[in-house]
Amino acid sequence: MQTVIIIILICIVIALIIALIAVRLRTKSILDSVDKMLDEAIDNTFSEAHFSEEQLSRIESKMYRYITKGMTSKLRISEEKDRIQTLISDISHQTKTPIANIMIYSELLAEEKLSDSARNLALQIEEQTEKLSFLISSLVKTSRLENGIVSVHPKENSVKALLDEIHLENAAAEKNIALTIENDTDITAIFDIKWTLEALVNIIDNAIKYTPAGGQVRVNVTEYEMFARIDISDTGIGISEDEIPRIFQRFYRSPEVGDKSGVGIGLFLARKIISDENGYIKVTSEKENGSVFSVFLPRK
Amino acid sequence: MTILKTEDLKKYYVSGDNTVKALDGVSLSVEDGEFVAVVGTSGSGKSTLLHMLGGLDRPTEGRVFVADKDIFSLKDEELTIFRRRKIGFVFQSFNLVPTLSVYENVTLPIELDGNSIDEKHIDSIIETLGLSERVNNLPSQLSGGQQQRAAIARALASKPAIILADEPTGNLDSRTSQDVLGLLKVTCRKYSQTMVMITHNEEIAQTADRMIRIEDGRIVSEH
Repeated sequence: MQTVIIIILICIVIALIIALIAVRLRTKSILDSVDKMLDEAIDNTFSEAHFSEEQLSRIESKMYRYITKGMTSKLRISEEKDRIQTLISDISHQTKTPIANIMIYSELLAEEKLSDSARNLALQIEEQTEKLSFLISSLVKTSRLENGIVSVHPKENSVKALLDEIHLENAAAEKNIALTIENDTDITAIFDIKWTLEALVNIIDNAIKYTPAGGQVRVNVTEYEMFARIDISDTGIGISEDEIPRIFQRFYRSPEVGDKSGVGIGLFLARKIISDENGYIKVTSEKENGSVFSVFLPRK
Repeated sequence: MTILKTEDLKKYYVSGDNTVKALDGVSLSVEDGEFVAVVGTSGSGKSTLLHMLGGLDRPTEGRVFVADKDIFSLKDEELTIFRRRKIGFVFQSFNLVPTLSVYENVTLPIELDGNSIDEKHIDSIIETLGLSERVNNLPSQLSGGQQQRAAIARALASKPAIILADEPTGNLDSRTSQDVLGLLKVTCRKYSQTMVMITHNEEIAQTADRMIRIEDGRIVSEH
């Protein structure tokens, strides 16, 4: 009798162990399929594999619905982008001619016999039109870059070739500022020469603008293992520490330079370009003692 | 989205009659993808702050939220796992395992977590950090800058919610420092990685998007 009980007990224990192992295996297989589903979802290769009354199959369906919902909104965003692209091209195209016309007319007007005050007004119109033209072209460039409509194409280029493209001697001479570009370098870096030039010119332009007559603007290059560094140093009015993060914001204008012409888009565009090239810009500055804008371009 | 937040964080050390207030009510928040520098002189409480943010030490008072989770509500064991998955560390002293190759060091936290390695991600990180030709080298065969770059790669590898860097250039000369900082900045942006860096050096802090200055355990300025 006792042996029978023992045998029954042993059987029960064995049955329990088998059941436990079966549950373990089953759970593991379910978790494995869920893990696989998630991996596929991450890789964008997810599709529904089973159609059955199992809960796993229902989860699959739900996940498929979740993923397709995300795709639809992605599609909508891309359509939105296309519309913005069209709008931008329209604005840039449609404003080009009127602005060019205003420029010509104001120049013609200034050539007429005018009283001093009228001539002054004609010159003002010319100046403001130039500003408007710069603003629109910069806005178009930034929004194109931001929306991925145009992009930078960084490749290995010589830094000297980049520096040799900078032609701002006239702008500097007009303000009696000594512009020195130390182009004596043989290093290369990974950048898009056309766009990087745009960024550098914007920074140097600013340096000239905010440096009093008789000052200096210097451009020089330092070589690091991973980066090429281009420093633009000036002897200008300087920027206070808490203002440094703000100068790269779109349309930011320091309250102290309200009298200078400018629209606050140049540095924003410069930073966008350099960031897109996997580089960055660093600013060190001291009030009254000038600023250094350091542009770091990757070398690898 | 706010990825890291502290609420009135305090850490007092009591010895006898003396109470040292290492942190005295620090509240800050860091947005997703931001690169924030915390600057302060030695003894200002910045390292204590970093230890709290990383869940390496418990505060006397106050709370720390990482990705909306109150990290000190977790048990020690949970906190260890949370730290491994959500926080990447970069230390002054690199802390690479000397007997493992660069590649093994970089993938170690993922292996520890029992996860499969996202090779595409790892390769991209290694290339961005200029370590492609060094993956099979041991840490001792690398320069200081390269070792720190490997440590950055390791921190990025597990795609943590946040990277905490404690004086990452403390052991490097100024030339190499510039490289390492540049790479921290560029990789954080490239992988939309949030980062908090602790430093005593103003110039180094300038690289960040935002600078928080701390003195005597309190935030004195933020911009």
